[in-house]
Amino acid sequence: MQAHPAGEHAAQVAIAHGGSGMPTALVGMLLFIASEVMFFAGLFATYFNARATSPGEWGPPAGAHELDLPLAAVLTAILVASSFTMQFGVWAIRRGDIGKLRLWTAITLGLGVLFLSGQLYDYSVLGFGIGDGVFGTVFYTLTGFHGAHVFGGAVGLTIVLARAWRGQFSARNHVAVEAVSMYWHFVDVVWIGVFSVIYLLR
Amino acid sequence: MATTTLEPRTVAYRRSWVLDWLTTVDHKKIGVLYIVNSFMFFFAAGILALVIRSELAVPGLQFVDESTYNQAFTMHGTIMLFLFIIPALSGFANYIVPLMLGAPDMAFPRINALSFWLLPLGGGLIFSGYLFGGAAAEGWTGYAPLTSSQYSEGVGTDLWIIGLTLVGVASILGAVNFIATIFKMRAPGMTLFRMPIFVWTVLVTAVLILLATPVLAAGLIALFIDRNYGGSFFDPSVGGNPVLWQHIFWFFGHPEVYIVILPAMGVVSEILPVFSRKPLFGYKAFVFATIAIGLLSWSVWAHHMFTTGSVFLPFFSFMTALIAIPTGIKMFNWLATLWRGKLMLTTPMLFALGFISMFLIGGISGVMLASPPIDFHLQDTYFVVAHLHYVFFGGSVFGVFAATYYWFPKMTGRKLNEPLGKVHFWIHFIGFNLAFFPMHQLGLSGMPRRVADYSPDAGWTILNVASTIGAFMIAVSVIPLLINVVATFINGEPAGNDPWEGNTLEWATTSPPPPYNFDSLPPIHSERPLFFLTHGHGHAAARPEDLEEDPGDDVERRDGLV
Amino acid sequence: MLPPEPKTEVGRDVFNLYLVVLALALIVFVAVEGFILYAVVRYRRKPGDDVLPEQLHGNNTVEIIWTVIPTVIVFILFGASMITLAEVEARSDNPGVTIEVEGFQWQWNFRYPDEGATITGSAADPPVMAVPVGEPVRLVLSSIDVNHAFFVPQFLIKRDLINLGENGRNNELEFTITEAGTYAGQCAEFCGDFHADMTFVVDAMSRADYDAYMAAIVAGEPPPATGGEDCGTTIAVTAVESIQFDTDAIEAPAGEDFCIEFTNNDTSIHDIGIVDTEINGDDIGPGASITYVIPAMEAGDYTFFCTIHPTMTGDLTVTE
Ligand code: HEA
Ligand code: HEA
Ligand code: CUA
Ligand SMILES: [Cu+2]
Repeated sequence: MQAHPAGEHAAQVAIAHGGSGMPTALVGMLLFIASEVMFFAGLFATYFNARATSPGEWGPPAGAHELDLPLAAVLTAILVASSFTMQFGVWAIRRGDIGKLRLWTAITLGLGVLFLSGQLYDYSVLGFGIGDGVFGTVFYTLTGFHGAHVFGGAVGLTIVLARAWRGQFSARNHVAVEAVSMYWHFVDVVWIGVFSVIYLLR
Repeated sequence: MATTTLEPRTVAYRRSWVLDWLTTVDHKKIGVLYIVNSFMFFFAAGILALVIRSELAVPGLQFVDESTYNQAFTMHGTIMLFLFIIPALSGFANYIVPLMLGAPDMAFPRINALSFWLLPLGGGLIFSGYLFGGAAAEGWTGYAPLTSSQYSEGVGTDLWIIGLTLVGVASILGAVNFIATIFKMRAPGMTLFRMPIFVWTVLVTAVLILLATPVLAAGLIALFIDRNYGGSFFDPSVGGNPVLWQHIFWFFGHPEVYIVILPAMGVVSEILPVFSRKPLFGYKAFVFATIAIGLLSWSVWAHHMFTTGSVFLPFFSFMTALIAIPTGIKMFNWLATLWRGKLMLTTPMLFALGFISMFLIGGISGVMLASPPIDFHLQDTYFVVAHLHYVFFGGSVFGVFAATYYWFPKMTGRKLNEPLGKVHFWIHFIGFNLAFFPMHQLGLSGMPRRVADYSPDAGWTILNVASTIGAFMIAVSVIPLLINVVATFINGEPAGNDPWEGNTLEWATTSPPPPYNFDSLPPIHSERPLFFLTHGHGHAAARPEDLEEDPGDDVERRDGLV
Repeated sequence: MLPPEPKTEVGRDVFNLYLVVLALALIVFVAVEGFILYAVVRYRRKPGDDVLPEQLHGNNTVEIIWTVIPTVIVFILFGASMITLAEVEARSDNPGVTIEVEGFQWQWNFRYPDEGATITGSAADPPVMAVPVGEPVRLVLSSIDVNHAFFVPQFLIKRDLINLGENGRNNELEFTITEAGTYAGQCAEFCGDFHADMTFVVDAMSRADYDAYMAAIVAGEPPPATGGEDCGTTIAVTAVESIQFDTDAIEAPAGEDFCIEFTNNDTSIHDIGIVDTEINGDDIGPGASITYVIPAMEAGDYTFFCTIHPTMTGDLTVTE
C-alpha cells in the first residue's frame, strides 16, 4: 500500500474535525474515571453488605485499637487541600505560567506523599489485619485500593512535574496536566466517600 | 595495495513480517489479531465441549473423572465467553467501526494494541491452570463459597481470577477507546443519527462494558483477597456473605450477556438490509430499542438468583420480562426489513437469518425463565443450558460467522467461496439444533446441569445421544470453513471494493483498505452513504431528506456531545 | 416440551402456569418463524432483477403496534406468574411434618425434629426422605458448607441451601404430595467434585405407613418396606450378552400388579415392553438393574420384548 497524499489529507481532515470540543485524551480520561467509579461502587457494595450481615458490633475486632479518627481527619484535610493546589497548577498553565505549574504540582505531589505516609503509619499501629474478621477485610480493601489509586495519581504527578521541568507545557498544549488533575480530583472525592463511610458512619 | 570496492550497504528499512504484526497499532491489523486469536480460543473451548458431550452421551463415566469434567465445563464456559465471543466481536468492531465512521484509526491506537495483547496473556493464564495441578473447576460463575480456598485448593482458581481480571482490564480499555472514537473521530457529515446501526450497538456495548466490568473486577479482587490473604468477604463464619458474590457476579453478568449479543445484532442489522436491498426498517426505533436494552440490563441481574430466596422476586421478574419489548421491536424491524425486499441468500445472509430465527428461540426460553415459579423448576437444569446456547451460539456465534463471511472480502480483498459457505451453514445449523434443542426437554424432565453422569433409569439417554451427535456435527461444519479460508487465501475470487453493494463507508475504500483508510470520502447525508453513491442521488426511492444538498451545513452538523 | 406430571399441589399450579406460558411462547414462535420462512420463499430476488424494491424506511403506526403487542403478552405473563408465585410461596400454619434438610459435600441429612430422627445418606446409599401424602410438608433448608439445592423434578420445585452463618435465615419450602410413590431427587446447585452423587429419594406414603416407618427408624429397626410399588409376584429377567434375554418364557398372575426385576448384563442399552400394550419400561444401561411395576393384566398370552431391539423377545403367560 503506497501512502497517498489525498488519503493523508482526508485523514487529517477527519482528525482535525474531531479536534473541536473537549480534547480526545480528556474524553478518554473521563471515561476511564467512570469505570473507576464503578470499581469503587463495587467495593462500597461489599462494605455495606458486610455491615448488614455481620453479627455483633460493627468495628475493629475486639482487642484491637479503635480507628484513629483525628489522624484520618488530618489526612482528609491534606488530600482535600491537594486538590486545590492541583487546580491552582492547572489554572496557572492555562495562563501559560509554567513556573507556577511546577510549584503547585510539586506541592500537590508532596501532599500526596504525606497522605500515603500517614496512611501507612495508621496501618502500622492499628493492631488488626485484613484477615481479622469481615471488618478488617473491608477496611483494608477499601483504604488499600484507595491508597493504590493515590499512588497511581502520584506517579502521574511525577511525570507531569518532570515534563513541566523540561518546559513541555504551554497555555495551548497541556492536556496531560488536565488529565492528571481530573484523576487527582477523582481520587480525592473517593477518599471523602471512604472517610465518611468508614470513619464517620459508625 | 589492493583496492577494495566499498559495496554500497544500504540497510533496507524493512521490518520483518512478524515484528510488523506484533508491534502494529493499526486498528485493522489489531482487529485481525483479535479475530484470529479468538478463533483459536474457540477451537480450544470447542474441543472441551466435545469432551463434555462425549462424556454425557450415555450414562456412566467413560472418558474423564468428575474433577476433569468440572474443569472442562468451567474452562469451556469461561473461554467461550471471555476469550472467544467478546473478543471476536471486539475484533470486528475494531476493524469496521473506524471505517464506518470515516475515521483513519481508533482514538488511542496504542491503548488499542495494549487491550489486545492483554487477551492472550489473560487467556494463557486461565488455561495454564491445566499445567499447575488442575484448572478452575467451579463453573464460569465461580460461586462462593465453593471458590474459597477451603473448598477449592490449588492455583487453578487463582489463575482464573488473575486471568479474568486482566481480560476485564483489556475490555475496559477497549471500551474507553470505542466510546472516544465514536464521539470524537466521526467524519464530517457523520451525525450520531447517521451512524450505521453496528456502530450504535458497539457504542451501547462499550458503555455496558465500561460500567459493568469494573464491578466484576472488584468482586474478583475480593475473592482473591479471601483466598490468599485471609479475607472474609464471602465467608459466613465471620460475618461475610456468600450470596454477595452472586449479586456482584450477576450485576456484571447480566449486562455482560447483552455485551455479547448487541454487537451481533448490529452485524445482522447491517447484513439484512444489504441483502434485502432495502434500508433497515425503523432505524431510530432500532437505536432507541438498543439504548433501552442497555438501560434495562442493569435492573434484572437477580433473575439468576430466584432460587436463593434472598431477592425480591416480583421486581426482578418484571424488569426481566420487560426486556422482551425492546428486543421484540428489533425483531419486528428486522422482519419488516425483509418484507417486500429482494432477498439474496448469500452465506452472510443465511447466517443473519439463522441469527434471527435461533435467537428468537433463546429469547423466548429466556422469558419463560423470567417467571419465578417456572424458574423454580428449571433453574440449574439443562433448560438453562439450552437457553444460553440458543442466545450465545444461535445468537452471537451466528452473528460472528455472518460477520466473517460479510467482511472477509473487505479484510483480504477476496471473497469466500459461496457453495462451501452454504455447506458450512447447513451442517452448522442442523448440528446446532440437534445439539441444543433436546436440552430443553432434558431440563424440563429434570436433568441438572454440571453433572458428569446421570442415572440410566432417568430416561435421559436418547436425548443426550442426539445432543452429542449434534455437537460433533458442529465440529464437522468447521472443516468447510477452514478449507474455505485457506483456499480463498491461495486462490480466491477477487472481491473489489464493494462486492455486496453495501450501504456503509467501509465499502468506499479499497479491499483491504490502506493504512490510513480513505483516499476520499463520499458525501454523508444518511446512514447509507454508499447506497446513494451506487444508486445515485436522483434515485426515485431515496428519502427526500437524503437528497437535500447541504454539504456545507453538514460539516458543521457533526453534533458533538463532548 | 412438558415437565413431568406434577405430584404436588403447587407443582400442579406451576404446571398450569407453564402451559399458559408455553402457549404464548408458541404463538410468538410460530408467528415469527413463519414470517421468516414466508419472506425467504416469497421475496427472493430473481436472477437478473436489478430493479430496487421500494425503499421503506419505517412507519410509526406499526412500530406502536408491535410495541403494544409484546407489552400485553408480558403483562399477562407477569400477572399469571405472580398468582402462581403466591401459591408456591404460601405457608400453612401447621404443616404435617417439618424436616430440617441439611446439605453437605456431598450428601444430605434429613432431620425430623418432632420424631427425633435423623437420616444421613451416602453416595452409595442415598437417603430416603419419608413423608406422608396429602399433608403439607415443610422443609427448612440449610448447608454446612457450600451452596446446594433441593430439587425433585416431579414436584416442579427447587430451592437453594445456603450457609448464611449465625444470623442468616434459612430457606423454606412447602409442598403437599398428591400421590404415594417414590420420587428421585438430586442436588441442583453445583457443589464441587461429586455434585452428581448428591441424590436422594422421597418416599411418600399414607399417614399410617409413615407413622410405622418413623417408629421403626426411631427404634433403630429397618423400616418396613413401603412405597406405591407393591410387588406381589416378582419375576427376574436378565439381558445377557449379544442381545438376548436369559429366559424366553415367564408367567404372572392375572388381575394384580406384579414386578419384573430387570438386570442388564449385556453391553448395550435395553428395556422391557409388552407387545400391543402401553407398557414400555425405562431404558437401562449396561450393568444396571431396575424394577418395573406392571399394572394388573387380563389373563392371556403376551409377548415381552426389548423396545430398542425388537428381535429380543420372550413369552409372557398371564394366568388366573
Ligand atoms: C447473549 C446472551 C443472553 C441473552 C441475550 C439473554 C437474554 C435473556 N435471558 Fe438469559 N441467560 C444467559 C445469556 C443470555 N440471556 C446465560 C449465559 C444464562 C445462564 C448463566 C448461567 O447460569 O450459567 C442465562 C440465564 C437466564 C436466566 C436465569 C435462569 C436460571 O439460571 O435460573 C433468566 C431468567 O430470567 C434469563 C432470562 C433472559 C431474558 C428474559 C432474556 C431476554 O433478553 C430475551 C429477549 C428476547 C426475546 C423475548 C425474543 C424476541 C422478542 C419478541 C419476538 C417479542 C415478543 C416476545 C414475547 C413477548 C415473549 N436468562
Ligand atoms: C459463546 C459461548 C458458548 C459456545 C459457543 C458454546 C458451544 C458449545 N457448548 Fe457450551 N457453554 C457455555 C458457552 C458456550 N458454549 C457456557 C457459558 C456454559 C456454562 C458453563 C458452566 O456451567 O459453568 C456452557 C456449558 C455447556 C454444557 C453444559 C455442561 C454442564 O453443565 O455440565 C454443554 C453440554 O453439552 C455445552 C456444550 C457445548 C457444545 C457442544 C458447543 C459446541 O457448539 C461447540 C462447537 C465447537 C467446536 C466443536 C470446535 C470445533 C473445532 C474443532 C473440532 C477443532 C478443529 C481444530 C483445528 C483444526 C485446529 N456447553
Ligand atoms: Cu450439592 Cu450439588
Ligand atoms: Cu441474565
